[in-house]
Amino acid sequence: MNQIADIPTHDVIIIGAGPAALTAAIYTTREDIGTLLFERGVIGGLAAVTDMIDNYPGFPDGIEGLTLATSLEKQAERFGAVIELGEVTKIIDEGEYKRLETTSGDMRARAVLVATGSDYKKIGVPGEQEYYARGVHYCATCDGAFYRDKRLVVVGGGNSAVQEAIFLTRFASHIDLLVRADHLRASDVLQHDLEKYTDKITVHFNTTTDEIVGEDNKVIKVLGTDKVKGEKVEFETDGVFVFVGLEPNSQFLKTSEIKLDEIGFVLTDQHLQTQIPGVFAAGDIRSGATMQIASAAGEGATAALKIREYLEGRPHPVQN
Amino acid sequence: MAKDITIYTTNTCAYCAMVKKWLGAKGHSYNVINLDEQPEKQAEALQLSGALTVPITVVTKQDDSREVIVGFNLSKLAPAVA
Repeated sequence: MNQIADIPTHDVIIIGAGPAALTAAIYTTREDIGTLLFERGVIGGLAAVTDMIDNYPGFPDGIEGLTLATSLEKQAERFGAVIELGEVTKIIDEGEYKRLETTSGDMRARAVLVATGSDYKKIGVPGEQEYYARGVHYCATCDGAFYRDKRLVVVGGGNSAVQEAIFLTRFASHIDLLVRADHLRASDVLQHDLEKYTDKITVHFNTTTDEIVGEDNKVIKVLGTDKVKGEKVEFETDGVFVFVGLEPNSQFLKTSEIKLDEIGFVLTDQHLQTQIPGVFAAGDIRSGATMQIASAAGEGATAALKIREYLEGRPHPVQN
Repeated sequence: MAKDITIYTTNTCAYCAMVKKWLGAKGHSYNVINLDEQPEKQAEALQLSGALTVPITVVTKQDDSREVIVGFNLSKLAPAVA
C-alpha cells in the first residue's frame, strides 16, 4: 500500500470476499500484487451460510459452507491478502487509478475486481417484511435452531431451497416445501436426498406463496394458491424460510459508469473486464454467471490473471 | 470501552463468526452463549432482541446501560463498543 495525494493506494482492490474474490486474491497475492478486499457482510458470501456443499471439487464427502469459506480466507491471508470489513459505496474512474469511496474513507487502486456476489431474493408478499427475523428468514444455518420441534414452511424449488429444507429437518417437526412450478429445479442428487425425508418434508407443487400471516407478533400461517385446482390453500407454521432465487449485490454500482444488465448483473467482455478499463467482475455478480461456487472460484482465478495482464506494461507507482 | 460483551451464536452461523472476528480484531474480549449447546437460552435471546436470529450481541457499557445488536451490523456494533 502506498499513499498518493494522501489517499491509500493499492495495486488491486477486490470488492467482496466470497469464493470468486478470495480465489482472485490467492492468485494476485501469489504474484506479489498488493491486494485489499472489502467485505460488508460475511466472508465466504452465500457459500458461508450454506449448510453443506457437495459439488465443490476436491471434497468427496462434501464440505460445510462455513468450513470452505474459512479455508479460502486462510489461504488468501496466507499469501498476504488483507480483508477489511467495510463497504465500498462508489467507484470513480480516474484513468490509471480508480477511486473508491468506502466506509473507511477514500481509496485508490490500479485495478478493481467487483465480486460482490448475490443475495437471496425476497418473495415480495404481505407479511414478509413485517415478520423479517421474527418468523421470516433467509439463512437456515443462522436461524434454524430457533425452530426445534416447530412446523416450518420453506419456499422455493431450487438447490438452496431443497438443501436448506433438508438441513432444517435437524430442528423442525415438519416442513411444507412450497414450489411454484410443477417440478423441482434442484439437482438430481438433491432430489434423491429429499426422498429420504418424506416423513418430515411435504412437497407442494404448483403452489404460490401469497401472504405470510402473523398473530401476537408471531407467524402463524402461510396463505397460498393451488394453481392446478385454482383454490386458496393455507399452511399452519411457526416460521418461513425463503429461497426463491438470487439478486445481484450491485446497488452501489448504479452511480458508476459500469454497465449492468436489465436485472442488475455486471456486464463484462470475454476478459471479465467491464467497460471501464481496469475494472473487472467475477462470480455471481457477473451477467451470465452460472451461480456455482466452483465457477466463481474459476472466474476469480481468470480475473486475477487478466488483472495481472492489465497491470503489466502500465506505470507502477505503487511499490509494495 | 464496553464493560461486557456477550454474543448469542450457533455452531453453523457464519455471521456469528464475523462478529467474533471483528471484535477480536478490535481487541475486545467477549462471552459466547451457544444456542446449539444451551437451547434453554433461546427464550432469553428472543426476549433481548425480539428476533429469532443470531448473532445477537449484547453490549453492557460502563454505566451498565445495554445495547442489543441483531446480526452482523458494523454501523451499530462499532459505536456500541467504542
